[in-house]
Amino acid sequence: MMLKRICWVFTILFATALTMQAQPTKEAGKELFVANCASCHNKNMKDNLTGPALGGTEERWAAYPRKDLYSWIRNSQAMIAAGHPRATELWAKWKPTAMNNFPGLTDEQIESMILHINDVYINGAGGPKPPTTDVATDEESSEIPWMFIGFAAILALLAFALMRIVNNLYNVTRVQSGQAPINKTVTQILSTKGAVAFLVFALVLVFGHKMVDNATQMGRSQGYEPDQPVAFSHKLHAGANKIDCQYCHDSARRSKHSSIPGTNTCMNCHSAVKKGSISGTKEITKIFASIGFDPIAGKYIDDYENWSDKQIEELYKKWIGQEYMTEKSLTAMDESGRSEVELQWEGIVKALKNDSNGKIQGPIEWTRIHNLADHAYFNHSQHVAVGQIACQKCHGPVETMEVVYQYSSLGMGWCINCHRETEVKFKDNDYYKQYERYHNELDNGKREKVTVEEIGGLECQKCHY
Amino acid sequence: MSDQVAVSPFIIHHSSFIIIQDMHHDNGIWVSTEDLMREESFLQSAEKEFSMENIDQTDGKWETGRRDFLKMLGFGLGAATVAASCQIPVKKAIPYVTKPDAIVPGVANYFASSIVNGGDYCAVLVKTREGRPIKIEGNSLSAITGGGTSARAQAAVLSLYDTRRIQYAGKVSEGQVEKMEWPVLDREIKAKLATGAPVRIISNTIISPTAKKALADFVAKYPNTQVITYDPVSSAALLEANRQSFGAAVIPSYKFDLADVIVSFGADFLGTWISPIEYARAYAKNRKITPGKKTKMSRHYQVESHMSLTGSNADNRVLIKPSEMGAAIVALYNELSGGSGGPKVNEKAAAAIKKIAAELRNAAGKSLVVSDSNNVAEQVIVNKINDLLGNLNTTVDFGTPSYQRQGDERALDGLLAEMNAGRVQVAIVWGANPAWELRNAEAFKAAFAKVPVRVSFNGVMDETTAVCNYAAPAHHLLESWGDAEPKKGHLSLIQPTISPLFDTRQAEHSLLEWADSADLNREDEQPYYQYLKSHWASELFARQSKYNTPAAFWDMSLHDGIFEIPATATPVAFAGTVDVNGVSKPSGAALEISFYETVNIGAGQYAHNPWLQEMPDPVNRTVWGNHLNIPVESNGKDKINGWKNLLDGEQVEVDVNGQKLTCTVVRNFGQAPGTVSIALGGGREMGGCGVSFGVNVNPALKVEGGLTQYYASDVNVSDKVGVDKNFACVQHHHTMGLHSAADATQNIDEAEYFQGSLTKRSIIFQTNLKDLQELGDKMEEFHEEAEHLNSQTLYPSTDEWFKTGLKWGMYVDLNSCIGCGACQVACVSENNVPVVGKKEVARHHEMTWLRIDRYFYGDIENPNVVYQPMMCQHCDNAPCENVCPVSATTHSMEGLNQMAYNRCIGTRYCANNCPYKVRRFNWLDYTTADLWPANEERIFHLEGDEKPFYADNLVRMVLNPDVTVRSRGVIEKCSFCVQRIQEGKLTAKREGRAILDNDVRSACQTACPTGAIVFGNLNNPDSEVNKKSKAAAALAYKVLEEINVRPAVNYSAKVMNSNEELYS
Repeated sequence: MMLKRICWVFTILFATALTMQAQPTKEAGKELFVANCASCHNKNMKDNLTGPALGGTEERWAAYPRKDLYSWIRNSQAMIAAGHPRATELWAKWKPTAMNNFPGLTDEQIESMILHINDVYINGAGGPKPPTTDVATDEESSEIPWMFIGFAAILALLAFALMRIVNNLYNVTRVQSGQAPINKTVTQILSTKGAVAFLVFALVLVFGHKMVDNATQMGRSQGYEPDQPVAFSHKLHAGANKIDCQYCHDSARRSKHSSIPGTNTCMNCHSAVKKGSISGTKEITKIFASIGFDPIAGKYIDDYENWSDKQIEELYKKWIGQEYMTEKSLTAMDESGRSEVELQWEGIVKALKNDSNGKIQGPIEWTRIHNLADHAYFNHSQHVAVGQIACQKCHGPVETMEVVYQYSSLGMGWCINCHRETEVKFKDNDYYKQYERYHNELDNGKREKVTVEEIGGLECQKCHY
Repeated sequence: MSDQVAVSPFIIHHSSFIIIQDMHHDNGIWVSTEDLMREESFLQSAEKEFSMENIDQTDGKWETGRRDFLKMLGFGLGAATVAASCQIPVKKAIPYVTKPDAIVPGVANYFASSIVNGGDYCAVLVKTREGRPIKIEGNSLSAITGGGTSARAQAAVLSLYDTRRIQYAGKVSEGQVEKMEWPVLDREIKAKLATGAPVRIISNTIISPTAKKALADFVAKYPNTQVITYDPVSSAALLEANRQSFGAAVIPSYKFDLADVIVSFGADFLGTWISPIEYARAYAKNRKITPGKKTKMSRHYQVESHMSLTGSNADNRVLIKPSEMGAAIVALYNELSGGSGGPKVNEKAAAAIKKIAAELRNAAGKSLVVSDSNNVAEQVIVNKINDLLGNLNTTVDFGTPSYQRQGDERALDGLLAEMNAGRVQVAIVWGANPAWELRNAEAFKAAFAKVPVRVSFNGVMDETTAVCNYAAPAHHLLESWGDAEPKKGHLSLIQPTISPLFDTRQAEHSLLEWADSADLNREDEQPYYQYLKSHWASELFARQSKYNTPAAFWDMSLHDGIFEIPATATPVAFAGTVDVNGVSKPSGAALEISFYETVNIGAGQYAHNPWLQEMPDPVNRTVWGNHLNIPVESNGKDKINGWKNLLDGEQVEVDVNGQKLTCTVVRNFGQAPGTVSIALGGGREMGGCGVSFGVNVNPALKVEGGLTQYYASDVNVSDKVGVDKNFACVQHHHTMGLHSAADATQNIDEAEYFQGSLTKRSIIFQTNLKDLQELGDKMEEFHEEAEHLNSQTLYPSTDEWFKTGLKWGMYVDLNSCIGCGACQVACVSENNVPVVGKKEVARHHEMTWLRIDRYFYGDIENPNVVYQPMMCQHCDNAPCENVCPVSATTHSMEGLNQMAYNRCIGTRYCANNCPYKVRRFNWLDYTTADLWPANEERIFHLEGDEKPFYADNLVRMVLNPDVTVRSRGVIEKCSFCVQRIQEGKLTAKREGRAILDNDVRSACQTACPTGAIVFGNLNNPDSEVNKKSKAAAALAYKVLEEINVRPAVNYSAKVMNSNEELYS
């Protein structure tokens, strides 16, 4: 009896699983490609990047069983070790760059990606779509507070009416006692002691409020948008190319700092992408000059730290000039080319040489935008890895920013508000099991959610120690 | 205060010892003479946050008149306006060019390494942040230290960032180094060496096998070389006696954990003697008790004249004069062997030793007798005693001998003669500082000057380097590669945790370079690393069988920091000759003096470390310098006073062995009558912050049979000649006060002094092991009474509220705490606690978050001691929180008493209202955190005392980036290492699991060598802190439990195993 039931359950499950497996589609393939492949393989499918161009993959693997291609994608090193002829051929050409493993991809998913690859390869890419801005942001309520205006109007009317009544009654008493009634003019009314006192009081209130408001703004720099040594575009990288924030800011999930990536992280892609789609050689050459990459020979310079400025200048001017001529299809350098080279070289020197580093070689000094007060402790990992908060929640729509600016105020009130409202991912994390009372209340429906505040998120020493 | 309040205690003679019995002292505990005599100064300090002495010292420069006040006010307003209109400074964010895989900015890396200084050894993990070492933690894999550390090891990280380090090699002239490139220096020295002239290398004990190999390589190249090894505090007699008795000049492993009866003749094995971390750990194992389960503990007798850290932990002390040490050892020997020869010890001690002998006989094979005597005959007799007791090969184990002391100062006499005769051509000083630490340093300097080439590897411009002509500064330990074998088979590695800060070079590298060693690959970036690695592969690899390849052996040893080769039993038999007449003879002098090494600054090797200088000496609780300990006397009726009526801080002239020293006096209970004592290590002359603190007593040391003796009978002490106006002893600072000043009434409301000196307060509970049950009952009663008092409240209980989530708490086992101070320095290091300097400490301004209180009880002339680590108790009903006008200190739902520095406006109401006196106020800008960048240059260029600690970017590298550096005018206090709590919680959250004990360990907990401090979650019934406090049952108590502040720290009562019949 029991066995039969189990068999039934399995049959149903199996059937569901079968029907759930979608047919490969190029739309699904595109998503998968962006998520898994795009950081190493060129999205135009025609040019090599960190990894080879994927256009024509199907033909190149046509001589082998389809499952060989699948296993290559899932674990390329294993195939190389096993001595598969196509695998060894690829390895000979691309080593030591090893491809990441994707053991989780199903056959269908791989087929979807191949559909997408073929589609782009044959039909061409449709150009990057405008970046989506469906990010949830704290929108300030921009509605006009009609209710308050209405109230104010009614109160004003009331005050006026009362004033009239009081005045009339006063005059009635005067008339009864045989005196002439007094009718004040507007100027007289406004210059009474009461009116002046009220005005002063109101002004003090308004200015006081303004002063306190401005004082709390001191030291804050919402909207700060400084020039950076390299005109790095988040709009292009995060927006158009959809590179995950944490690909570059990888320590955000592990550390208190989100960290600006080292030049070597840039080079993961830019050893292949040597020219920018917007700025050409102007910006990317700065990275090369920082780390010591020879874009002409396509390799790193061994004793770069010992190079003189002259040597460096020679190399990169040659590169910029060469690319300029290629672009303009020139055989010899023209005057505007020469000035372009000179201009770009000056840009490199300006970006890399500074007070603390008198050399071209070495790190790029970025201007820090988000500065928290020294006595406030903030941990990215807590918010990114544990809280699973989207980066945009605090940093705003970075993927639309050509130049990054400070989106939030980073003031304490702003932090506190979020801690009051944000629900803790209470049920999925065993850490929170210790809050038995909350769990009981959640279970018996006494409570809908647990906010950060309720597990101590507003306490001083969560951020100040 | 009025006279009638100062009621003298009744002193009762109990056959042969004196105890206190009066109504203030009915719990029999006191902190000092002033306390006993209810002196005004004590009552003041107990009553007020600060006593008036020293408090208004201003030097005149901080005095403010009305005009100054107006000027400052005007400037302040102006400055605030300017500051408000200034732009926010532009900050830079500089990423790596190529980010190292192992480093995630903001996440600490830990590297296993070792802290070695001469024979001092500690296996550690070095915590680094973004490539800079900031904290030392114990390495729990080590069988020697078991994760414990010492104050000295904890402080090692600060000396890395010493601004006075020598920054490059060069010629030395007038205490300055004229820079030379290393190859030039090498050429000059090699030219001298090439002549084949006699070379002498002077060092302290070297426990590194690879350094010894490098030395051997050097000697092989220049066969005319001799290595002279001595130790700052000599153990040469012990080594020599072991050679005579057992045929090997090594120190055995002493198994304090296996001994039921321990007798130490002067050896301060818990504080300074040979391997204190190891001994303390083993010793504490046998001192912990659990009522109802484990009620057996060892009995420890200490025979000494000056109260050492070990003596203060002993169950019974036998007081002798320093010159009677030999006679005392002979007395025990005679008791055990039935002999009767040799000199005689005083009668009281003789009677006690007789009883001790009987007890030792009963514990044959499970007892241990040790001595720090530097007299060969005495050490041979101690060996014989252990032999008679059957302790050889049980508690005295030669299977894993210790190599931590190898020096013999007798070799120096020959060296001096050779140098004087002009026979030595090249002298190389490696780590040692003979021009200061030798008793005959002046003679040494004169002879040393006759050596044409004098080279120093020392890292700072110390007294010896200054008289050298070449400085070849070695890396700091945390920049070096190296290894250590403190005990046979216990291998330990040292790895660099930072690139060398300066143009220094490893000493071993220099030696190999000068020896033209073929094994040194000069092309390599780290030549000595390769040398070390190949030595491990070629020699040490062969000694083990666990790993099959040298690479695996190296990698795993480097990862673990240690590697232990299983010991082989090496039974020994006593083969020495006992000479009861060869021991030192009692001098019969009315006054004798002894010299001792301190827990914090050693014999002066550690004097240039400000953290250690500012750590109070555990026993006499003075800071910055050495002080003359004088005994406390009683007339047997109603008077207790210092010897010669001297008071703390008064200065006297001490005439000892022809040396005149001006010393500052501190009265010390437990100092034997007719004796005084003073620490070594004071009065350094060059090289760092220790200069000019205390007096140099080394010239007063004498020799017997070539061996340095750390006592003198030829001593005279003058009457008071002056007063040290900066005398800094923290005994009465932040004192909680044990008793009421009011005599007749115990009613708080009628007591004249109530703040800080309430009626009979429950701060310390202590008993003797045999009365354990009695104390348990008494405490049970006390808990009930306290609970009854505490329930009389109008407010609803908050206990229920804390049951959700976490609740942090601590358990401190007073029975395990030996008062060594490792926790205190660990706390300073972890929490960026500033160093304030002697003058500030004298004004009660020390900033330490954790202090170790010392309490006495029992016989006035020979009391027992209780140490009590005292930190913020994180009261759930905290008195400090209610009085803060700005809510800068509040309570968290995890039970933490939180302190928000930026909210604090410095009213100090909280400090005033804290019954535990654990809150510290930043009176001055100790950290220069308030400094405007424009002023930095001016402050940074100040010299010496004028310069605030941390006023240098090099020193600031030691700061923990996760802890705010406090500015002037705010209160700070123990936070239960909240940064560690937050980190531990985050780790657990990220991994989606419950929080474990190991996720959060406070800095004091990890530093403790005896496991006395346990920290954890009180809401988890399985947490260690809960289990331990539960196991302690009624013995667990909260300090001032009865005042309903509901502290989160549990202490357990101190239980001694004293022999009460010893003097009856």
